[in-house]
Amino acid sequence: MGTTRVEIEVNGEAKSAEVESRMLLVHFLRDVAGLTGTHIGCDSTNCGACTVLLDGKAVKSCTVLAAQASGRKITTVEGLSANGKLHPVQKAFLDKHGLQCGFCTPGMIMSTVWLLSFNPKPTEQEIRRYISGNLCRCTGYQDIIESVKRASDSMTGGR
Amino acid sequence: MEEELSSPEYLVRGKGMYVDDIRLPNMLHMAVLRSPYPRAKILSVKGGLNGNELKGGVESVGEGATASASETEEPIFGTTSVNYAGQPVAAVFADDLYKAQDLLESVEVDYEPLKPVMGIEEALSMPPIYSSLQTNIMSDKWRGKEFELENAPVVLEDRFFNRRVATNPIEPRGLVASSDGSKLTIWISTQSAHSIKEGIVGSLRLKPENVRVIQADTGGGFGLKGGMYTEYLIAAYAAMKYKRPVKWIETRREHMMASRPGRGVVGKMKLFADRAGKVLGVKGEVIVEGGAFSGGMGEFASNFIAMQVTGPYQIENAHVRAMSVFTNKVPMGPYRGAGRPEAAFFMERMMDLLADDLKMDPAELRLRNATTGPFKSPTGLEFEASKPFMEKALREMDYASKSKAGNAGLACFVLVPAYQPGESCRIVVKDKKIRVWLGGNSHGQAHDVFAKKLISEELGVDVKDIEFERGDTDMLEDGVGAWGSRTAIVGGAAIVSVARKIKDQIEKEFGKYSPELLLSNQFDVYNFEKQKGSMNSLGANLATVELDSLGSVSVKEIDFYYDIGRPLNMDAVRGQIIGGAIQGMGQTLSEEIAYSQDGQLLTASIADAGVQTAEHIPRFDIRLADSRSVLPHGAKGLGEAPTIGVPSALVRAIERVSGKRVRETPVKAEMLLGLVK
Ligand code: FES
Ligand code: FES
Repeated sequence: MGTTRVEIEVNGEAKSAEVESRMLLVHFLRDVAGLTGTHIGCDSTNCGACTVLLDGKAVKSCTVLAAQASGRKITTVEGLSANGKLHPVQKAFLDKHGLQCGFCTPGMIMSTVWLLSFNPKPTEQEIRRYISGNLCRCTGYQDIIESVKRASDSMTGGR
Repeated sequence: MEEELSSPEYLVRGKGMYVDDIRLPNMLHMAVLRSPYPRAKILSVKGGLNGNELKGGVESVGEGATASASETEEPIFGTTSVNYAGQPVAAVFADDLYKAQDLLESVEVDYEPLKPVMGIEEALSMPPIYSSLQTNIMSDKWRGKEFELENAPVVLEDRFFNRRVATNPIEPRGLVASSDGSKLTIWISTQSAHSIKEGIVGSLRLKPENVRVIQADTGGGFGLKGGMYTEYLIAAYAAMKYKRPVKWIETRREHMMASRPGRGVVGKMKLFADRAGKVLGVKGEVIVEGGAFSGGMGEFASNFIAMQVTGPYQIENAHVRAMSVFTNKVPMGPYRGAGRPEAAFFMERMMDLLADDLKMDPAELRLRNATTGPFKSPTGLEFEASKPFMEKALREMDYASKSKAGNAGLACFVLVPAYQPGESCRIVVKDKKIRVWLGGNSHGQAHDVFAKKLISEELGVDVKDIEFERGDTDMLEDGVGAWGSRTAIVGGAAIVSVARKIKDQIEKEFGKYSPELLLSNQFDVYNFEKQKGSMNSLGANLATVELDSLGSVSVKEIDFYYDIGRPLNMDAVRGQIIGGAIQGMGQTLSEEIAYSQDGQLLTASIADAGVQTAEHIPRFDIRLADSRSVLPHGAKGLGEAPTIGVPSALVRAIERVSGKRVRETPVKAEMLLGLVK
């Protein structure tokens, strides 16, 4: 099995390693970079538990090879908080009970961060449609939708 | 006192410690070779760790555990035969997951495929799968008493089917096993560290003191993670054999093939009534598709369903046959509700049929059969006065106006929580900190919040001084598990009992109690708070739907009126209700594990299995009865209630908008095509 040298900027830090060419980005993040906040919930690109930002845009990291991400920037859930302070989206999920078991949560949070980056005041319908690529088996989604609304409010100052 | 957050902060930071996040030095990754055939003889297996070396069976533990030891018990590996597609035949181990996957190709298995038994009807008509048996019947029991009412003014019969559904927590199964030569330590995603320990000790014949099971953060369970699985035994054995830690994480495809699913139950019902709508008696036959092996939920469920089939009604005559059958599919396991939704479905479908036959309002018919005092049905179902509850429910859910539009369905039910035998708790006070262990292991229900709240109430301490510890069999000597809507009830009672013991101890020693005395001394108190009898409660749902010309159902609103006793944490209650409702909606509209006639899995991904997304979530209106249980902290059950009430209410609503009698779940769009009125 061939190997490739990859160099990825993960949460602002350069991570480089010689990895198997077939290695998925999600395995690079979890096993090489040691960032286990990005989860794996399926093998068919359905669940969204592995969602991260690739150059600022949400991707399912189980659909990208580590090699394809070489030379690019990745943000994972661990990279959201600044100086230990929670990102407003993380805070909103806590305040509005947007999680139960927490397994889908990092992916949901990353999808939300991406959504609010280009659509700071989404409608409820837009929120639902947007997060429908992230599955949650615990919450029934309602409190997640409330969390996204709360995050939107707090990031736009409620305007 | 500041309100405790219902979700832990470390989880939104991505700092959870789920089992796949655990990395031990020198760890091996395990991959499992599974049978591609639903039924085959194995002529030979070469390579990997297989059944020629690791013999024996999987001991049934946890929810619905049964004792058995025979040809029909699940073996650790299929060695001379396999009985479902996905059954483990060998396991391989490597330094990383990719290499382990590659190694699967090194195993050679010679199969001789046989004709599989793929459904309940086939099971009853085809020759037995197991040569030691005469038929494919796994168990066959009766509940209630024989009666004769064939001349009743109204006699109605129907047959229902809830298809199999996968549990599908977003975190699949998994464990890390490690042995230091004398002690085996297991980190696992589980609903019960103690059940896992019991299963490992029993199946691998180890000494209890040599096995420790620790619960990792657990990404949802829904029944899946309370019991023993062959992969756990293989990983544990390999860790001892290779003297290296072994990790196994299930893939979603494996989950669909080899994780025990729920439902898969047929109900044949016959109702006898007078023309005023009074039900005089019910006869029935419950047939559970137990799957390939006996032991556990597949065997247990039929009798449990038959017990509950009479619903919250005063039915004086009942006689129900409870059968489980063998098929060449993965054995059935508990899935949220575990028998309770099936029983409600069968009875509520019959009540609606009777209402239509008599041209009565379904709510009026239910009230006519409700009880004004406590009642125990001939099948053994006990409940409190259901009439006042239903009257209140109809008002709270605004049945009168919502039912007028002709698109609403009502369901009433009894929730039977897994109350016995109780639960354990240990509280340790040291260095001004209170640490608490609970026998039932939280996997998203925020047990920590109510645990802290109850301790804070009992002992007058700040919740900040209390640490809720994860499941660990070395720290808590005994325990049951978190399933069957039980933990707020029995876990809560165990916590209160230990807190009160500590308080008594302080009062005896110091003549009075104060939080300061508590925190400045040391205590270590354990109690298994036993529970006898039952803690059943009542619930009702109203669902409103719309249907389009393509047969697609959109659920507009779901209303709830539940008696959960005293709610311990409203955020968690709301989350349990809505989460459960969406699972119930999934079962009703989209969720299914389907096989082709020759036994191949058709639903290999979580999307194929029909798990609901955020896109079509209805409005929710949640009302709770003002009530307390007899327990000191007042709780009753909740977790499974929405999975019981919602499907029955939804199918009735669908029946109203489509004009088509609904007899099975899921109700797929193609069944409703062109039926919009
Ligand atoms: S793990 Fe990437 S979508 Fe499921
Ligand atoms: S919180 Fe458990 S899967 Fe979403």
